[in-house]
Amino acid sequence: MHWAKQLLLVDRRIIFLLVFLGALIPIIRPIGLGVQISPPVEAVFDAVERLRPGDAILLSFDYGPSDGPELDPMANAILRHCHKKGVKVVGISLFPLGGVDMGIARLNELATELQAQDGTDWVNLGYKDGGQAAMKAMGEDIAAVFPTDVNGVAYRDLPLTRDIRAYRDMKLAISLATSVLGEWWINLVNAQFGIPVAVGTTAVSAPRYYAYMEAQQAIGVIGGMKGASEYEELVERAYPELKGLSRTATMGMDVQSIVHVIIIFFILFGNLMFLLTRRVKEA
Amino acid sequence: MKRQIPILLAIGASLYPVVAFFVPTRGVTRFNQTLDEWMVIIASFALLLGIVSMIQVNLAKVRRRTSGWPFGLIVLVAFAIMAAFGVFGRQGARPDGGLYPFTWVFQFGFSPLQSTMFSVLAFYVASASYRAFRVRNVEATLLLIGALIIMIGRIPLGEMIHPVVPDVAEWIMKFPNTAAQRGVIIGAALGAAAMSIRVMVGIERPYLGKS
Repeated sequence: MHWAKQLLLVDRRIIFLLVFLGALIPIIRPIGLGVQISPPVEAVFDAVERLRPGDAILLSFDYGPSDGPELDPMANAILRHCHKKGVKVVGISLFPLGGVDMGIARLNELATELQAQDGTDWVNLGYKDGGQAAMKAMGEDIAAVFPTDVNGVAYRDLPLTRDIRAYRDMKLAISLATSVLGEWWINLVNAQFGIPVAVGTTAVSAPRYYAYMEAQQAIGVIGGMKGASEYEELVERAYPELKGLSRTATMGMDVQSIVHVIIIFFILFGNLMFLLTRRVKEA
Repeated sequence: MKRQIPILLAIGASLYPVVAFFVPTRGVTRFNQTLDEWMVIIASFALLLGIVSMIQVNLAKVRRRTSGWPFGLIVLVAFAIMAAFGVFGRQGARPDGGLYPFTWVFQFGFSPLQSTMFSVLAFYVASASYRAFRVRNVEATLLLIGALIIMIGRIPLGEMIHPVVPDVAEWIMKFPNTAAQRGVIIGAALGAAAMSIRVMVGIERPYLGKS
């Protein structure tokens, strides 16, 4: 058999091993690659940066553990940014597969890192089923959809939400979303109620949101681990006192870079062998 | 009447929010808000349907000892445990700093397992790319070039190769990608709008079943 054809049939365990080493080595020995900021992420950062102390935003944890590696760093960076600005965060979840628990974990981490207070700096209203129905109902009365927070405290008894009745009392809605939920926030909440919407999503879903950004229905998109690393960089540049806190996405970009290079190498190598075998066949 | 009542209810329930949008008077809006709250409740019952279906399927698998029945048993036991923790316990952190059982199992059991399952995809993507991504024609070659530019442009290495690489990747996302996505989004939206109108006027009756 021609040697090129033999190489095309290489055992896939060799590929698995190289990808494993490509993921493991940068974790043990970080490379520290730089972060270049892209306009969609900068737009979200600027929108939060323009807010004033005391303004409230809605942060919807619409993702589960499978998307955690990409969206958790985004959530951490946004929450740190809001806390430094004195912006109040109203946390909810509309994703059934663990969204509320992802929110609990991120908000507890904020409380530990920066001593943020539940009830005054942030509230977690928990999960509500219904997707678009819940989004629409919140346009008139959030308390009707979320009568209590996750701890059972009544909505009207929370200091933070006393003056927040609906979307019109908040300045921005950010959805950290997997699947179609991010699009619902844009199509329904921004279109019907006018509140600016930003979306943080997985790298696979991010290309879809460029259409909404160009139509100015979404103010920006944080796409995947790269977007999360950019937001971490922007927050640290603006607030150097946050240096030293974990930058999971930035560390993850070292791994992603090496694995991308490995995959690109295999794609090019595989096509080179394919073209060589085709030439041999034609000869 | 067995057919007429559901059809009338469906037409009324689907037309009312449309009317409320264009006639935002107090009385009309109040009932529209009630409809929204009913929808949230009904959506929760849909979740319950899924749970009942899952239990029925796995119970049948375990009873008949079909292939893979131990996994069906694991599903049922895990469901019962998490349901018990969720219904009879609380979520989040305890006052003493520990975690309630539901949150503990979620953070240290479910979450790592699901993350691991999706992490395995990276290996299969690498293997499949090597074996299946072939430049057999012009379209495949263009796809490959675009994919390589995006993959290099979205990592720090792209900027190290040349500062223009990330800008080229961003251009591809902002123009060709946006054009294609707009086509897909508009097509899907028109389809959904057409289907909605058919349900509103009673032409499509999915709620009546096969009869």
